[in-house]
Amino acid sequence: MTTVIRTEDVWKTYSLGSPRQVDAVKGASIEIPKGVITGIGGPSGSGKTTLLSLIGLLTKPSKGKVFIEDKELSALSEVFRTKFRRERIGFIFQAQYLIPQLTATENVAIPKLCTDTSRGEAERLAREKLSGLGLGHRLDFRVAELSGGEQQRVSIARSLMNSPEILIADEPSSSIEEALTKDLLATLREMVDRDELTVIVASHDPLVLGWCDRLYTMRDGEIVIQ
Amino acid sequence: MGVQKHSNLASYALGNVLKYRTRSAALLIGLVFATTLLCSTEFIREGLMVDLTASLDEGPDIVVQKLVGGRQTSIPIDWKENVSSFSGVRLVTPRTWGYTDIGNGKLLTIMGVNATEYGSILDSIGTDIVGIGRFLEESDTRKMVVGQGIVDVMAAAGNPRYVGVGARLSLITYDGELIEFEVVGVFSSDSKIYSYDMVLTDINSAAAVLGYDNSTCTDLAIWAEHGSNVNAVALQIDNGIPQSRVLTRDAIRDIMMKTYGDRAGIVALLWSVILMSVVLLAFTASTAGSDEARREVGLLKALGFDTIDILEIRMFESVSISLLGASLGISLAIIYDFYMGAPGLAGYILGWSLVLLNGGIPLVISIPTIFTVYAVALVPILVATVVPAWRNAITEPDTVLRGV
Repeated sequence: MTTVIRTEDVWKTYSLGSPRQVDAVKGASIEIPKGVITGIGGPSGSGKTTLLSLIGLLTKPSKGKVFIEDKELSALSEVFRTKFRRERIGFIFQAQYLIPQLTATENVAIPKLCTDTSRGEAERLAREKLSGLGLGHRLDFRVAELSGGEQQRVSIARSLMNSPEILIADEPSSSIEEALTKDLLATLREMVDRDELTVIVASHDPLVLGWCDRLYTMRDGEIVIQ
Repeated sequence: MGVQKHSNLASYALGNVLKYRTRSAALLIGLVFATTLLCSTEFIREGLMVDLTASLDEGPDIVVQKLVGGRQTSIPIDWKENVSSFSGVRLVTPRTWGYTDIGNGKLLTIMGVNATEYGSILDSIGTDIVGIGRFLEESDTRKMVVGQGIVDVMAAAGNPRYVGVGARLSLITYDGELIEFEVVGVFSSDSKIYSYDMVLTDINSAAAVLGYDNSTCTDLAIWAEHGSNVNAVALQIDNGIPQSRVLTRDAIRDIMMKTYGDRAGIVALLWSVILMSVVLLAFTASTAGSDEARREVGLLKALGFDTIDILEIRMFESVSISLLGASLGISLAIIYDFYMGAPGLAGYILGWSLVLLNGGIPLVISIPTIFTVYAVALVPILVATVVPAWRNAITEPDTVLRGV
């Protein structure tokens, strides 16, 4: 299997005001192959989310390197990292971060607003993604009017707007019931099998981790089991 | 990146203005209030300046008053001969003026002049500015030329009455009697502030209404010889008649400009305080909204928005609120000034004695004023929001994952 993402001894240290510092990730080295679901497990506070931020180029490592397709991207400027995220990475957030005043379609269309795609075209694509996830009857509902599962699917649709090669999901089951979690995982599996999508999921939910093809476990910022 | 992206960002920013409607409404209300106040004041101040210039151009070169105990009092008409003897004086004519009412509580300015002398001055008030009818003649008694304000106020009365040439109006005298006058003309002048509420009549009729003795008048209006130095003529009169107060046209202009300018200045100061409050509100609102705004920025940046995109969105938000606030403020000022007569403000700036009728308020809208209003509404808000916007825009995108 081709390795898409590789981290080499990455550290992330957050300053809590001098001299207090927290090492959220300590020397993590992982490899993530293309077209599989890779899980990152571990208890709360073990550094899973921070590792996802590093892999997703949302933040720079304090030490170490992040490679995507053998290119070291962690050292690039914010402009290039942003461009890479915009074009190739999709995110599903723990708290979803949907904008409650906007409709499902408007929320999903947001990633296209910072491109030269017209708003009309962005909304057409958003409707297409939502319909593909079974939300064709909820397109013009404000997200506050949708159920938890529907909101999660809106969040997935938004993450797919840029047709990403890498999908990063942080605790995707934290705000939904077990049946909906199974639906979500089935959807992710279908996309992986159909589009050769690379999915990285951080979770402490055994149900989610049980669906992953590969698994890393973290504790106190370190990878303890591979 | 092309225009489409900027259009998308502008559209998103407008959505944000509606989304954070409490914050937007607070800023908008503050801006509208500040802009309305500024515009209303400026329209009146500019109108006043134009009007004063026109009025003074139509008036005499020098006005002589008599002071007793530092206060103005009536002048013996025989001063006229004395003043006429000074070199450089072309014409001296006595004027009797004051305030009277026509029974509806509205005060009008009544001015009595010598029709022949006054009418002989080219461009002087009442000669070439009578729109309907005619100017006063030497033999006229109990005849009057009225300003458009008198026509307006009578037409708007509970029992409307058309005032035109041939109409008869009674004025209440100083001792409560009525004297009937016939209207022979209606002013049509650029100088609203003087002529709008004015009743011009012969000097003896005015004296009868105001309670002056026929041997006295309120002041002397003097026109200097063409080419003579008005200040030199004024100095001669001042030296020759020690108890006189001699005011040249320039001196009157200076006094009026200073009086009205100072009043407008105080309103401008008030406006500055309000605008500062709005700016502080804008700054505070941007900062106070930071938690929610920061999460949104984190989301947008995680989804691929650049720092510059975020900054552009924030700037679009500020610009749209500022432009909307300024436009609404200007519109309200137009309604307040031009349709409502600027109640309260006009009285303050013009002085109560001059605001006899609403329609008499001089108003001018100029492009520089509108430009200034937009600039002062836009620039401080942009400056006030640029720092919080920048702090907001440089939020690390991982905040959205970390939930901080």
